[in-house]
Parts: sequence; C-alpha cells; structure tokens
Amino acid sequence: MIYDDLNIIFPEIFLSVYAMVALLGVVYTSKDELAKRVTWVTAFIFILVAFLIIFSEEKTEIAFGGMFINDAFSRFSKIIILLSAAVVLVMGQEYMSRRGFLRFEYPLIVTLSVVGMMVMVSAGDLMSLYMGLELQSLALYVIAAFKKDSVKSTEAGLKYFVLGALSSGLLLYGSALVYGYSGTTLFSGILSNVSTDAPSLGLLFGLALVIAGLAFKVSAVPFHMWTPDVYEGAPTPVTAFFATVPKMAAICLFIRVMYDAFGNIINDWQQIIALLSILSMFLGAFAAIGQTDLKRLLAYSSIAHMGYALIGLAAGTEFGVQSVLEYMTIYITMNIGVFAIVMSMQQDGQSVTEIASLKMISETDPGKAIALVILLFSLAGIPPMLGFFAKFEVLRAAINAELVYLAVLGVLASVIGAFYYLRIVYFIYFGEMPETPLDDAKSPILRTIWTASAAIMIFGIVSLLGVEQMAKAAAFSLLN
Amino acid sequence: MITLEHYLTVAAMLFVIGIFGLFLNRKNVIILLMSIELMLLSVNINLVAFSSYMNDLVGQVFTLFVLTVAAAEAAIGLAILVSFFRIRGTIAVEDVNVMKG
Amino acid sequence: MGAAVFAFYLFALSTITGGLFTVLSRNPVHSVLWLILSFLSSAGLFILLGAEFVAMLMIIVYVGAVAVLFLFVVMMLDVDFASLKAEMAKYLPLGLLIVIVLLMELAMGLAVWVPSDGAKMVLGAPIPSDTHNTAALGLLIYDQYFLLFQLAGLILLVAMIGAIVLTLRHRKDVKRQDILTQIYRDPDEAISLKDVKPGQGL
Repeated sequence: MIYDDLNIIFPEIFLSVYAMVALLGVVYTSKDELAKRVTWVTAFIFILVAFLIIFSEEKTEIAFGGMFINDAFSRFSKIIILLSAAVVLVMGQEYMSRRGFLRFEYPLIVTLSVVGMMVMVSAGDLMSLYMGLELQSLALYVIAAFKKDSVKSTEAGLKYFVLGALSSGLLLYGSALVYGYSGTTLFSGILSNVSTDAPSLGLLFGLALVIAGLAFKVSAVPFHMWTPDVYEGAPTPVTAFFATVPKMAAICLFIRVMYDAFGNIINDWQQIIALLSILSMFLGAFAAIGQTDLKRLLAYSSIAHMGYALIGLAAGTEFGVQSVLEYMTIYITMNIGVFAIVMSMQQDGQSVTEIASLKMISETDPGKAIALVILLFSLAGIPPMLGFFAKFEVLRAAINAELVYLAVLGVLASVIGAFYYLRIVYFIYFGEMPETPLDDAKSPILRTIWTASAAIMIFGIVSLLGVEQMAKAAAFSLLN
Repeated sequence: MITLEHYLTVAAMLFVIGIFGLFLNRKNVIILLMSIELMLLSVNINLVAFSSYMNDLVGQVFTLFVLTVAAAEAAIGLAILVSFFRIRGTIAVEDVNVMKG
Repeated sequence: MGAAVFAFYLFALSTITGGLFTVLSRNPVHSVLWLILSFLSSAGLFILLGAEFVAMLMIIVYVGAVAVLFLFVVMMLDVDFASLKAEMAKYLPLGLLIVIVLLMELAMGLAVWVPSDGAKMVLGAPIPSDTHNTAALGLLIYDQYFLLFQLAGLILLVAMIGAIVLTLRHRKDVKRQDILTQIYRDPDEAISLKDVKPGQGL
C-alpha cells in the first residue's frame, strides 16, 4: 500500500532527492564554481519532471489516506509551476552571477520551495496544506534576503518574513477552529460536515481566518502591504520568481481549499472573495499611477491581477475555476517576459529599475521596445493581446454566475489600470532622450525569453495553445 | 468543571496578545518574532484542547508539526535578522528608511 | 474546587501573564524570560489535557531550543533597545482598539463551542484507551502521517540551509589554520641553511 502512495508522489520525491544529492555533491566538491551549472541542471530537472507529469496517466488518485490528491487540477498547476520555475531560474542565473551573488544554494532552495508548492496544490488535508505552504514560504524568505550585502534585500527578507509568519499564524488559527468544528482535518471530511444549514459562528471565524491567511499569500488587498516593498527590495531574479511561480501555487491552493473543503458553503465565502477582488483591482490600479520604480509598479500590477484572478474564484462555478487557471497561465507568461526586460536594463553596468530610464528605448533597441509594448498592452488587457482574453474569460465567468456588478467593476478598474501601462508606452516612444541611455542588452537568453513571451501574447489566441482544454479538464476534475 | 471553552478562551486571549504585540512593537523585530511564537502557541493550545475533548489524536499530531515548523521559522527569522543587523547596525524595521511607503 | 480546576486556573493565568509581559516588557531579555514562563505553563495545560508527549516537546523544543536561540540573538546583537521602546506609546491606542474588537469577536464566536453533528463520525484517529500517549502518537506519525513527517524534515533542511546561507561569511581578513598544508609542507623548502663566515655577514 505504501508503494502505491510513494508512486503517486514520485515527482515530489524525485525533486527532493535531487535537491539533497546535489547539495551533498556540491558541498563536497567545488562549491560556488558549480553554481551556474547547478542552476542549469535544476532547470532541466524541472522541465523533465514537468514532462513526466504531462505524460503521466490521467486519473484521479489519492495517497496517504486522502492527504495528497493527484488529479487533473493539481497536474495542471504543477506543470505550470515547474515550467515557469525553470524559465525564471535560467533567466536569473546570468544576472546573479554577474553581480556575484549566485551561490549554489539558490537553485536548491528554489527546488525545495517548488516541492512545497507541489504539495500545496495537491493538499487534501489542512496539515499537508500547512506543511507545503511553510516549506515554500520558508524557502522564499531565504531567497528574498539572498543578497546579504544589500540592505534592501535583507530588509525585504525581514519584512516578508514577519508578515508571512503572521499570515501563517492566522491561517493556522483558522485551521484549528475548522478542525474543532468538523472533527477532522481532511478536506473530504470537512466538506461532508460543513453543511449548508447555518454553520456555527466558530466555523465562520475559522473560514475567515483561513481566507485572510491565504489572501496574504496571494497578496490580495487588504493583505497586500508586503508586496511593493518586497518586490522592490528583493534582487530582480528573485522578484521575477515571486511574481510568478508562488502566485500560481497560492491561487491554486486557494481554489482547492475553497472548493474541496468549503464547497458546500459557497454563499458564505463568495462575498468575501468578491470584496477582496474588488479592493485588489482598484488599489492595484490607483496606487500604481504615481510609481517611478518599475519593480514597484509591477508589484501593484500583480496585486491588481490577483484581483482579476479572484473574480473567477468568486464566481463559484466550474467555468470560473477554468478561467482562473487560464488567467494565471497567461499572467505568468506575460510577467516572465516583462521581468526578462527589467533584468536587462542597466546603465553603465549598473542595473536600474526607474521607469524614466526606459525613455526612447525605441531608438536604441527597437526590438526590445516592440516586445515591451506588446507585453504592456497585454498586461493592460488591450485586445487583441492574450491579456485581454484572460480578463474577458474571468469577467464572462462572473457574468455567467450573475455577479454582474463584479464584472462591471472589473472593466472599470482595467480602464483605470490601462493608464499607467500606457504611460510607459508613451515614455518608450515619445519621451525625451535621457542623458545616459540604457546599455545594450547583450544577453541572448533574456532576449529569447522576452521575444517568446511577446510572441505568445499575439499568437496564443489560437485556443491558448491548448491550455484551454487542459484548464477545462482541471476545473472539471476539481468540481466533480 | 473545566470545559473546552475555558481552554479556547485562554488560546484566544494569547492569540490576541500576539497580534497586540505585533502592533505595539512594530520597530523591534525580536519582540515581533516572539509575538509570532505566542500566536503559534495559542494555536497549539487550541489544537490540543480540541484533540482532548473530541477524543481524537489528530489535533496532537498537528501540534507536533506546528512545533517543528515554529522552530524552523524562528531559526530562519533570526538568521535574516542577524544578517540585517550586520549591515544596518539596528533591528528597527520601520516603514521609513531605505524603502518608501 | 478540585486540584485540577486549581491547576487549570494557575497555568492559564501564568500563560496569559507570561504572554502579556512578553510584548510589554521594556527589556528584551525579560521578554524572553516571560516567553519561557508562558511556554512552561502551557506545557502544564497540555498535561492537564492528557497530551504528555506534546507537553514534553514544549519544554524540550520551545524552552530548550527556541527560547534559548532568542536569548542568544538578543545578547549577540548589541541593540539600543531604549530608543526602540520610546515609540511604543504611539501604537498603544490602536493596538488596544484591535485587542478589544478581536476579543469581543472571539468571545462571541467561542462562548459556546458547537461542533458539527458529524464531527464524531469522521475522527481521523480516536485516542486509544490502552496505549500510552507517546506510543499512540508514534504509531500515527510514522504510519498514517508519514508524508508530513518527511515534509517536516525538508522544512528543517530548508531552515538549516537558509540559516547557513544567510549568516555564514568567509572573512578574508581573518587568518585560518589549514592543517593539510601544514602537514604537507616540505622541510627542504621551508628551511635553507646558510654557511655564514665570521666577520662577513650574508
């Protein structure tokens, strides 16, 4: 019996064993000289495991008495997590090694955090949820503070840590109350015990605290305060990681808990999620307007995007879940492209993140300018870019679920949000030439990544390159 | 007669004290970390109380894991704090300093 | 009033007092000591609840490791705590407001705890009457909750790597002893004999 269980969690075992073996191997040999190679190997392993999951048998299995669920939903999220983590690792290694803080621990800590995320999206029990969440969070605290000679980086790590630990505390207190109410920590048991007829006040407190804790992790307003500081302070490759991979894991975990454990009381959480989503969309749109730092702006942009993703969750339907999954996939693809460009920005060898330094890059590097404009249009949700379809799908889910007000507010917020994206586009083409233009980006890796990401934004409209079908199957497996 | 509610009240008070400490000592990170430990302690009291009154061991198993994670969290938190202190010379994390807002 | 009731109130009171003074005390060393009091008395509460193993762990892990770690850091970092505390009064009103609101809400929610009707049916692991608490927990952790046990190991590994990555530094200005190079040093190269004639110098 245990062999069946171990078979089901084989991808996780494989990754953790890889992390440990690589750690031992590198420690006993040449340490940091191997850092670059370890990063490449790790990215390769991620892709390998992703393909392992893609070609695995399509069925729903549970392991360890229901604590671990392997279904189409978890497979979909794992594939996205692994592939995006691989791309972000490859993207960051050059930046980090050029600035002398790529150490061999970095890819290995990322590996362990990816294992945590994989457990999160497969969690079928409050305990495995908590352990997965903590495994990824602890790893993320460390990499936020990874550039230890930089004040900004360590301060970002500290802020992230304190607020992250607070959110885990809230989540945990909520889980304890839910356990006390339903008598079990298994999602299936909670689902059967939490019925529609008037759940007790204690349970609702538990639910509210769990939602608050998860909202912290996806950085939804009013639990977003860490996001701008951490995004700005952490080294850019780490920020690129934060903005993409853990967001997917956290949103998927959010969906999983809400449907698998509290699917019988949708009416009780629907309003809370809708409120979180409205607040996030509007705060993200308004607060981004005055920003001068690109990383900070992207932080507010990601808060707003999480608001849109939560619309699909608030819809409370199968199509809603499907639209969130599509939204997140597109969001991650866009953000990887944008961060590749941010990483390539430097003046006189120093990396810069001011928006003003992008002025007139259409003159110095037209290819990059076009890619950036496409990505920004896509982030703003302007048709015919893929970002528009992402927004369109979640709004359609809201309308189908008769949450018309949510859809209207979503459209309104995206119009406001378009303003600050367009301001950057204005800088790129019509700003005045700065005194010291950006250096030539010589990195072929980054160029490939942002070109690919921009190309996907245009050509991906053809059935989202097959993602739509997968997302549909994933949503179906979660709700049935 | 001591009931479940007695224990829940103790845990709730401890939890609130933890949050209170977070607000009160916004500058002093060491006390912030201790406040977080208090919150986790209150969760543990909750879990063990539920476990005992429902006659179910799962709550105690959960407590064990919370304990482990709390220890790991404290180690990471203090490590980040030490590396922060080394370059800043202070442990005050206020909203005003290197980063705005 | 029975001994158990008395013990409950004693431990409950000292847990809460410990917690309160942890966040209020002016000296962080005192804070750590209050925290230890809180941990110890909650271990007492756990024993009253029949969770002996968790109570032991509370003392061994929390008091023995975590609290001592805190104490270490407090002593190691030479922080001017007086200036940090001066700011405390500023946040007191806001903090108190939050406390009152939260306490009222929690009191409303938890005044009478009503578990769901089906709670008794789905218990994951009913407490066995014939096995000792520690043994029963062991049977669960290494069997039913094996996955979580391994994950806990990974979490500790991350904590270990993280702590080393963040705090270990190789200082170039400190001389270190390298035993291997000392052993393999060739005496022929290290010493050269010169025949110095009287009155000539080298």
